[in-house]
Amino acid sequence: MLDPLKVAIDHNLVVVTLATYVVGTLVLIAYFLLRTPLLQRAGMVLACLACALQFIELGTRWNMTGVWPLTNLYGSLSLFSGLGVLIYIIFASKYDLWLIGGGVLGISAIAFGYATTWNEGYMPAVPALQSYWIKVHVPIVVSSYASFMVAFVVSCLYLFKAYGERRYSATTGVLRASAAGGANVSMSVAMPTAGTLESVVARTETPNVTAAATAGDPFAVWLAGLPSLARLDMLTYRIIAIGLVLLSIGIITGAMWANEAWGAYWQWDPKETAALLSWIIYAGFMHLHTRNAWRGERSAWISILGFVSIMFCYLGVNIWISGLHSYKM
Amino acid sequence: MEALGRDALGGVKSAVKELVDEFLILFANILFAVSLFAVWGVFTLIGVIVDQNKGADFYWQNYSPVLARIVLRLHMDNIYHSPAYIGIIGLILISMTVATFRRVIPARLPALRPVKIDKIPLHATVQVEGDEADVRERVQKFFAQRGWQIRKREFGGEEWSFVDKHNWARRGVLVAHIGFVIIAAGTTIYWASGYSGQFTVLSGTTGTIPQTGATIALKQFGYQIQPVATKSGIVYQPIDYVSRAVVTGKDGVPHDAVIRVNQPYDVDGVKVYQATYGFGITFALTKDGKPIAGPPATPLKEGEAFDIPGTTRAIQYTSFVGTMDRRTGQASSDPRPNDPGVVLEAFDGNTPLGQVLVPLGKPLDLGAGFALTPKQYTLYSGFQYRYDPGISLVLIGAIVLVLGLCISFYFTPARLYVVITGAARTWTVGIAATTVKGYDIFEDRFREIVEALRRSPQAS
Repeated sequence: MLDPLKVAIDHNLVVVTLATYVVGTLVLIAYFLLRTPLLQRAGMVLACLACALQFIELGTRWNMTGVWPLTNLYGSLSLFSGLGVLIYIIFASKYDLWLIGGGVLGISAIAFGYATTWNEGYMPAVPALQSYWIKVHVPIVVSSYASFMVAFVVSCLYLFKAYGERRYSATTGVLRASAAGGANVSMSVAMPTAGTLESVVARTETPNVTAAATAGDPFAVWLAGLPSLARLDMLTYRIIAIGLVLLSIGIITGAMWANEAWGAYWQWDPKETAALLSWIIYAGFMHLHTRNAWRGERSAWISILGFVSIMFCYLGVNIWISGLHSYKM
Repeated sequence: MEALGRDALGGVKSAVKELVDEFLILFANILFAVSLFAVWGVFTLIGVIVDQNKGADFYWQNYSPVLARIVLRLHMDNIYHSPAYIGIIGLILISMTVATFRRVIPARLPALRPVKIDKIPLHATVQVEGDEADVRERVQKFFAQRGWQIRKREFGGEEWSFVDKHNWARRGVLVAHIGFVIIAAGTTIYWASGYSGQFTVLSGTTGTIPQTGATIALKQFGYQIQPVATKSGIVYQPIDYVSRAVVTGKDGVPHDAVIRVNQPYDVDGVKVYQATYGFGITFALTKDGKPIAGPPATPLKEGEAFDIPGTTRAIQYTSFVGTMDRRTGQASSDPRPNDPGVVLEAFDGNTPLGQVLVPLGKPLDLGAGFALTPKQYTLYSGFQYRYDPGISLVLIGAIVLVLGLCISFYFTPARLYVVITGAARTWTVGIAATTVKGYDIFEDRFREIVEALRRSPQAS
């Protein structure tokens, strides 16, 4: 019999966590649009709070039932939301990328909101899930999904900025060459780096945006305040580099678990093959990113395609396609 | 005539060499490799979406006729073992091997040659005061203290320093590719000398692994199913499946074994896994009230059938129902055998005549004086066994692959070109940076290095 007090605490934590995600999303979207330091600070606090609440809720569940909380889609999506925000906080702190928070927290809010529709209560694990591997495999795989989610948001921002700059640019070739670190980009550290308008504008790669911003075009000024395309492309690469290694380890640990539970490390189960498909897409991304011509806009589209494949692997296969990951008697 | 032959041979040799060169150029091309990845991805996606390893009837019944025809004609029903799928993996391995030898291994350190500093996007200059020898020594010390490897060369009387870091990481891709090859070798070993299979054993009987002759005498199969109250109602959640058996391997010594899901048993290097379970049913057939032969004496498993003697009809035991709802006569959601029944299907030749749910112990009137009674159930356990001599190699390959990915992704081999120019006590240190991953990824680090050099007490 579960402790009614703990059940009530868990229910309230779910509501408060979801509310924090939603408010955090709105605040960080406002920060994206207005760029005021107050909104940034408030967004940072809300993101940290939502992340902490999410893990506390999962911990409460574990403590209450004694069952590892990641045995169903509810637990898995909860972890996805929490880890997505955690990875965002780490990258935002390291690379000053708080601007993408609205997107990350928004997706986390949707994922956690959707998770609650799969919350059937507190159930013991089926025999296939009664393994120490669940404590290794699931967190690693979900953290790779969360990394790709953050990369997806950065890629969307990249494309948003690229298309925004295109308004001011006569040719698209300039953009790609710029993002690829082409020879027409000067990165000399001798240029000013202080936070003046001039120096910020100088970091954008499209001269026409610089000119428009200097002339006082408000959208150009706003656009120039976003991280440079080259920086966004580099960040996408760095986040995918984390996600791809995690996905590789996740597939390997999954294979080790499958070998113990089902008698073969690879059975061409839809979930396995969908994960392989995502791995192929991101491996393709990494290969193509070695080529100047494929960095930037093309890479951003591949990152988006990769995340679509991740969502198909994560939700589509589990919900629509029958396989070993829906263990049946 | 002989000269003509030599010319012809030379021509053939030259044509073959040209062909081989073109092949090598194509297969070493990254875009070609990624194109192969794309085809591999599409094939894999087809395998995820299209049901695999079903009979032709399944596709005709569940897919539109056009789609079913496409699936069957193009062998999409078993795509992962189709020549096309295996072929594309083979092409990827060839491409990887060619790229490894033509691109990855030759990608050693760039030559030690002077560059035009200001033509490289990542460049900077730092003013330093002091004697020339002293300045050179201080700059060298600055990089050495930070773990950079320095090599000096003189070109036209000008001394250049070539400062490198993480050179070993240039081998990351090579390591990852080697990991792939090891995995491929491990799976090949399994294909060549491994085996696997499945068998079922009724409680109280013995099953055999055909390849080794090891026996598994099933003493008892047990399961635990727990009713759990959820928001959608009662769910009967399986908690445990366990086979208690006596296993006898090559040594001839019987060993007590407990085989559970996630807890396989090892006999002579062959792993035995708890895979499935079911309910075997013993039937009794009567004609005009007298027992007659027909159903086998041993329990039938789900999907098995027997003929009614003297007729063209057959009865198939389709499925087991744990608990029947006596009010409706239908199956309830409780799978535990509280009030069991069996679903039987009658056939006339190959033509299905219909299904009926019969409570255990109750006779079913088959007409023409025949009556069939499902008498009792016996639990059986389904085992999977596998001998895989290549599995350790696959694991090693996987670890090497991840190691290669980590080296490739998290370490950036960088080269700094440093030249010191000036006169008397005023010197300018020109620095430019290149990396194997472009310039953007090194921009922040380069800025830090230059700022540190600028802040260092030796610099002005």
